[in-house]
Amino acid sequence: MSPGEQRFRHGLALASFAALIVYWAFSDFFGKEIIAEIAVFAILAISLDLVAGYAGMVSLGHGALLGFGAYMFAGAAVKLGVSGGIAVLAASASTGLIALAVGLVVSRVHGIFFIMATLAIGEMGYEYFFKSKTFGGDDGFAGIPRLDLSALGLNTNDPATFALLLILVAAVVYLLAARLLASPYGWALVGLHENEGRMRALGLPTRLYKASVIGVSGLIAGLAGSLAAMHTQFITPQLLHWTTSGEVLIMIILGGLGTLVGPVIGAAIVILLRHELSGYTDYWGFWLGAFLIAMVLSRGNGVVGWLYLLWRRFKREGGHAAG
Amino acid sequence: MRNKLAVLCAATAVALASGAVQAKEYKVGLLLPFSGVYAGLGTHIENGFQLGLEHFGGDLGDNTIVVVREDTEAKPATGLVKAKKLVLQDEVDVVAGIVSSAVLGAVRDFAHNSKTPIVVANAGNDKMTGESCSPYLIRVSFSNSQINRPMGPYLADKGVKKVYLMAPDYAAGHQMMQAFKEGFTAGGGEIVGEAYPPLRDTKDYGSYISAVKGSGADALYVFFAGGAAITFVKQYADFGLAKDIPLYGAGFLTSAAYVHVQGEAADGIVAALHYIPSLDTAENKRFQEAYQAKYGKVGSEFAVQGYDAAHLIVEAIKASGGDDEAFKAALAKIKFDGPRGPLKIDPATNNVVQNIYIFENDFQDGKVVQTVLDTAEAVQDAPNGCAF
Amino acid sequence: MFSDGGFWITQALNSLQLAMLLFLLSVGLSVIFGLMNFVNLAHGSFYALGAFIGYSIASQSGSFWLAFILAPLAVAAIGALIYVTLINRMRAAGPMKQVLVTFGLIFVLLDTMRYIWGNDQLGLTSGVPFTGSTELLGVTYPSYRLFIIAVGLIVFAGLYLLLEHTRLGAEVRAGVDDAETASCLGINVEGTFFIVFLIGCGLAGLAGVAALPAFSAEQGMGVGILIQTLVVVVVGGLGSLTGALIGSLLVAVTLTFGQVFIPDFAGIIMYALLLAVLLFKPEGLFPARGRA
Repeated sequence: MSPGEQRFRHGLALASFAALIVYWAFSDFFGKEIIAEIAVFAILAISLDLVAGYAGMVSLGHGALLGFGAYMFAGAAVKLGVSGGIAVLAASASTGLIALAVGLVVSRVHGIFFIMATLAIGEMGYEYFFKSKTFGGDDGFAGIPRLDLSALGLNTNDPATFALLLILVAAVVYLLAARLLASPYGWALVGLHENEGRMRALGLPTRLYKASVIGVSGLIAGLAGSLAAMHTQFITPQLLHWTTSGEVLIMIILGGLGTLVGPVIGAAIVILLRHELSGYTDYWGFWLGAFLIAMVLSRGNGVVGWLYLLWRRFKREGGHAAG
Repeated sequence: MRNKLAVLCAATAVALASGAVQAKEYKVGLLLPFSGVYAGLGTHIENGFQLGLEHFGGDLGDNTIVVVREDTEAKPATGLVKAKKLVLQDEVDVVAGIVSSAVLGAVRDFAHNSKTPIVVANAGNDKMTGESCSPYLIRVSFSNSQINRPMGPYLADKGVKKVYLMAPDYAAGHQMMQAFKEGFTAGGGEIVGEAYPPLRDTKDYGSYISAVKGSGADALYVFFAGGAAITFVKQYADFGLAKDIPLYGAGFLTSAAYVHVQGEAADGIVAALHYIPSLDTAENKRFQEAYQAKYGKVGSEFAVQGYDAAHLIVEAIKASGGDDEAFKAALAKIKFDGPRGPLKIDPATNNVVQNIYIFENDFQDGKVVQTVLDTAEAVQDAPNGCAF
Repeated sequence: MFSDGGFWITQALNSLQLAMLLFLLSVGLSVIFGLMNFVNLAHGSFYALGAFIGYSIASQSGSFWLAFILAPLAVAAIGALIYVTLINRMRAAGPMKQVLVTFGLIFVLLDTMRYIWGNDQLGLTSGVPFTGSTELLGVTYPSYRLFIIAVGLIVFAGLYLLLEHTRLGAEVRAGVDDAETASCLGINVEGTFFIVFLIGCGLAGLAGVAALPAFSAEQGMGVGILIQTLVVVVVGGLGSLTGALIGSLLVAVTLTFGQVFIPDFAGIIMYALLLAVLLFKPEGLFPARGRA
């Protein structure tokens, strides 16, 4: 990838977050709810993109990580009564740890075997929370509080404040992930994706490396889970189901796999499209599927790839006119 | 398009002479699954609801009812987002619908805190009119235990001694079996075995049915619904166990929505439900004739739940005289005779008080005929920890 | 109950019946996978299509047998259409893009079926063959289930003959082993892919129409069965007939006996089996290639 393309993506990310803030400023109450949902899924999609897009391991277990984080946050905040900030840290850390442990197990399998292994572990997690009396089983877990930021003069129960906060968290997650990918760790990750054999020959402990990126991804997914629990204040095992994982996968494919900004854009597209389309037709799934197919058939890598092609053409023509 | 289908109920030609009452547009948010696993039930309830508005919404004076529909996909998180959309953006006066208990659980706190009344047209979780009850949740459908409670004493009285239980492994399945079990064991019966197959993953009941065979049970009592009910009933008939171990259950087992698909396999099954299409009342005849003419299908209990939800909302509008608070309060005080018979809302829990019909399925001339064997009148739930 | 010999025989037959249904579904998926290196995630949708099309044909014509013959052909034809318009186009773009196309197809096909057949469950109540039960090995067993077992065994035998004793079979085996070398040897790999894809779709349709009398046709059945099918394929190993058969048997036996002996874990035993296999044999039990 050229430095120009990298700059383009960061610029696009800046524009995307700016667009979310503009939307935030002009939207009604319900718009704020949508923004919060977009932000949660954007964070989860970034987490999946690290594993699927950069490290080349397509996971169908990220819904389970999201749900696990949500339940850990809810358990810590409600059952143990710890303060919101500590509950977020605990949820994020525990999800990261469990992802790391899972990563050590599943990093030895590849491709479809990896997809199926993550699916299997995710479904077991779903089954656990579905039956768990401690966490309310399939009745769900109610009465989850939001982070108390009144010391900063912020009321997180106000939808506008909460939505803005979530946009900012998503932007910070984006920056941290971009930073990580620009480090030697990130280079090794991409190298691993492109030629695992060579990286192993160079002495890189490849399995440990893969497990570690799954762990990092888990940390972020756990954060997304905490925010999801705070947002809806009621959670059910449905979050852990593989269909949630499938939905996030659609988001990053539509947006552009391995582009980091693509997942953010993909999350916004899928959520907005679903809300808009379902108002017009009960068969909105058809159009979502058709859009997905069209995107895959087209030559670019998702929306981000398309935008980049357009941008290059625009610059060429612009440059031509100027010259 | 269909989304904002307005049902104009005002008699526009007849201007009100008095002019004293302010005309009001009542917005009803119809919150149902129109895609996903429960889309079929969502359609039945919506059809019933629209028919209910046609039948009862004709004389509201200057008032009008507008329906805004939203798809929950039967997912709790989506259901909550859509409920917020209906309340915050569309500013509906009342929400009706909700098929899945998980969605109702997700929406409950939001409805309670935003003081938005919800007329529940399916979700049967006992807790929602028990320990988690709210003055803003009014249920016109049923509670899980309400359907099953009368069957315990009924089977015990018939001299059935040993029963095997089976239901999907989720909250509703366990609640239904528990309610039956309490009444049955109190009447001297014994439970000789229980099995709870995974809710969605079970495709084949062969191994579960084979296990019933050697259990020494006199009868099998089950709850299954939808595709699982069809599969279970067919497979039970295929194994030929019914003559030794007859099948009983919550009436969703042989719902009017799909009993024609079960056909001969449903023959002989005795079950309990709050509505069957063959009830012989004037209200039911009117409902079934109109429903079949309009939608070309028999009106199921789900359609009746939608129909009665519309009826309830219309009556509350009439009783409130255009006042919002009076409207909310009136919802829980309505009583009327619907297709399923007399119906009222229990002031202690906001759950419906209604008859439960114990009926038998007979396969005659290529069709399943359902006949009432016994009626448990005005079945009412205990408060179960509900305090408003 | 467990000391009763009849119980064991009945459960063994139950396992065999489920295994044959899973085999019909997974064998096509597995061979396509081994040959073309991509997973057709819409495979479950073809199963659903088989059930719905079979329902329409049987209820219109009154003949289940007509549906039994025509529905798989119709599903294969739909598969051909999808192959030509979408999948073939993506050959150059690599397997990942093909998988994603079939992922999108799940949603498109699901809503198309909802649009055509509605949201209510459908089923056949008359004209179904083999109703009632048969005495076998001292137990009374549903005849239709025995029929499903027979269909599965016949298909297995037919595929075995096809793969081992025909030119197409030799080409398929060569293609699974090494597609590049096979095409250098003058084998029309593209043509072979196409035929295998059609057979796979047809068999999924056959499974759908065969399941119709014992189950019902309902929306979402395709997505529901997809996961089980994928588990079978992965457990058995990619690209081999034996793998698909062994995988089906293993999954079916685990489910059938697990549901009765460890009912509390009924929901996870299939996944536990999958993980156990992957931990010890990361490429499944009987992969067609030494290294996939």
